Amino acid sequence: MKLEIIELNKSYGEKEVLKNINFTFEEGKIYGLLGRNGAGKTTFFNSINKDIDIESGRFYLDNEYGRNKLETKDIGYVLSTPVVPEFLTGREFLQFFIDINKDKIDSSKTIDDYFTLVQLKPEDQKLLLKDYSHGMKNKMQILINIIANPKIILLDEPLTSLDIVAQEEMKQLLKVLKKDHIIILSTHILELATDLCDEIVILSNKKLEIIPKDDVNIKKYKDKIITMLKEEKDD
Amino acid sequence: MINYLYKTLQIDITYSVNSTLYSLKKLPFMKGLITEDTYNSKLIKRIIGGIGLLLSILRSITFKFIYFYGLIFICEKLFSKNSTNAFIHVYFFLTLLGLFINNKLLNTSTKKYFSLIVFQMDGDKFFKANLLWNILTSSLLNAFMLLFVVRFFLPDFLILQGIVLLIITIEARIIGECFNIIFYQKYHYLWYNNTKLYFTIMIILLGLSALPYWNIVLKMNNIQIISILLFGISIPCIIYLLKLKNYSLIYKRINYIVNPMNTKQEKDYLKQAMVDLKDKDKKINDNKLKNKKGYDLFNTIFFERHKEILLRSARNYALIFIVIYIVLGYIMINYPNYNQSIGHFLHVKLATFVLIMYFINRGSIVTQAMFYNCDHAMLRYNFYREPQVILGLFKKRLEIVAKVNLIPAIVIGIGNVFLLIISSENIALGTLITTFLFIISLSIFFSVHYLVIYYLLQPYNKQMEVKKISYSFVTLGTYIISYWISGIVLTSEVLSIIGLILVLFYIAIALLLVQKIAPRTFKLY
Repeated sequence: MKLEIIELNKSYGEKEVLKNINFTFEEGKIYGLLGRNGAGKTTFFNSINKDIDIESGRFYLDNEYGRNKLETKDIGYVLSTPVVPEFLTGREFLQFFIDINKDKIDSSKTIDDYFTLVQLKPEDQKLLLKDYSHGMKNKMQILINIIANPKIILLDEPLTSLDIVAQEEMKQLLKVLKKDHIIILSTHILELATDLCDEIVILSNKKLEIIPKDDVNIKKYKDKIITMLKEEKDD
Repeated sequence: MINYLYKTLQIDITYSVNSTLYSLKKLPFMKGLITEDTYNSKLIKRIIGGIGLLLSILRSITFKFIYFYGLIFICEKLFSKNSTNAFIHVYFFLTLLGLFINNKLLNTSTKKYFSLIVFQMDGDKFFKANLLWNILTSSLLNAFMLLFVVRFFLPDFLILQGIVLLIITIEARIIGECFNIIFYQKYHYLWYNNTKLYFTIMIILLGLSALPYWNIVLKMNNIQIISILLFGISIPCIIYLLKLKNYSLIYKRINYIVNPMNTKQEKDYLKQAMVDLKDKDKKINDNKLKNKKGYDLFNTIFFERHKEILLRSARNYALIFIVIYIVLGYIMINYPNYNQSIGHFLHVKLATFVLIMYFINRGSIVTQAMFYNCDHAMLRYNFYREPQVILGLFKKRLEIVAKVNLIPAIVIGIGNVFLLIISSENIALGTLITTFLFIISLSIFFSVHYLVIYYLLQPYNKQMEVKKISYSFVTLGTYIISYWISGIVLTSEVLSIIGLILVLFYIAIALLLVQKIAPRTFKLY
């Protein structure tokens, strides 16, 4: 399975953010998307997810069923700031989500199995989401976006609000998920990117560029990434 | 200090210029004219800044004028024999009231938020600059009003009296600001948040200002003595204010409580509070959720958790109208004159109910609750943006919103029929039916209207601010048209039939539009 992005262009007014991007993401890999502040990482995700209008660009999903236009139902998008319907309890939200996506969801798992997956205590499951902490909301958001089994998972700064134990669990979960998904994760934490991701992609000068790992040691690899990020031209 | 004052004014003006440009940019016909470069154009900014400054000066003068003219007008009407002395009396006590409630230094505003919190200006210098600026501007305005405007309307008002009142105004401002700060320092809250204290002071001072009604007027001599006393108090007050050292800290704490990053956001917080979940709605009866799944379950939970917000005002309106109709019925039966005029009103001025139904419709608050507590979050999930989901939920929501609004509408419909029956023995059944149906159709119309414009023009952005000017235009237009229609004089039968046809026509078109367009327009911006 491949996600092909062809000639993606996006500007805000006269400011070009993404310029003629052509890129292919492949199944079985976690891509770490790095870029400086304001480089356009969230814009890139929003463009794929059709959250914003773009000047031009085509997105295709190439798999065993052929090469088809990418649809939003193929995407799970985890936002950097979790947003959940506050009038529902955690359990109600999950129940609702399972109900409407039952044909896509692994029926062998119960609602409790899912809560165990993100380590959410039974007493917290009954609370209204409005009373959840930032980290708990984030767990719910990640859960909702992965259990429907979307082919592509976009994660915008996903682990920053989680405690270190939850971060570790989430990393393991993503490593399992990558087998039959395309995962693209944006982050500012270089260690997370080099540790978790199979490929590092830099968004710099409005373009995406993959940084080959080659056989260099990790220190040199990190230096190379920072040097590339520093080279971003101001225009 | 002057430099500080200049800086805060500059921040204020830049903020208002940029927000004006931003709003103008949203107008469809301005799109091409205002570009990103416009924000950097000094000339355009100066022009808009100049206009803004001029408008704010004009606004201050107008408000002051209205205040003074209002006082003079009331004194002339109520105490025509002694209007000048009555004016002096009323003005004096209202100025004392202003001492407590007209608090400039501890109130929160955009200018202060940016200056103190964002730009981290020196709070003490900022405070002093603003204190002096406020005293200076209010003194100039009041001097102009007291020495020219009041003397123009009340020719026997003396210059000396004007000067004394002006001095009292300045003293009151200084003492008032000082009182507010000392109170806050001592009790750690703003005094007017103490409702009991607030109303006690309000009632006492308003009561004292109304004394001329019973021919009791405070003599000018006494006012002069009080002014000297106040002068004595205001000296230590101004020294205290000028020596104050921790204004930034006080402001930060107040700001933390009130949290108004700007007035617009403050309004949004209020709005949000209005649609906040009520505790008693947190528990839902299990039977109501039995056998429900998916969107049906979701929707049921939404309405059950917002029952209090949705139903409370509808029920209250229904009760109020029941009382009104019983009273009107009683009046009509016992007083034949009124019987005729109320009957006549219902026959030829039924259109007035367009405005009444406009005001009692809960459509806008319901859509607000939908956005703040539900769609704001859910629209970020792709599964929620599927066309069939949007349309499915629209239908379910329409059904519930219409039902909620029908509660007072049925009361009004039956109430009108009841009054028509009392007004005449020979009332045609057709008239009763069309009159009733007219009210019901109006209620359905407004329910559909609010929900349709919400789905077609989804006006909020991710920060939950109304960003679509077209939505504001449509809501304003709805009011103007309702107001205009409510003035139409037509017999109830004709109006009802025309109304029914138009409403049905509108509903059909609106639903068709939602079907065709909403899947594209109902999204987050």
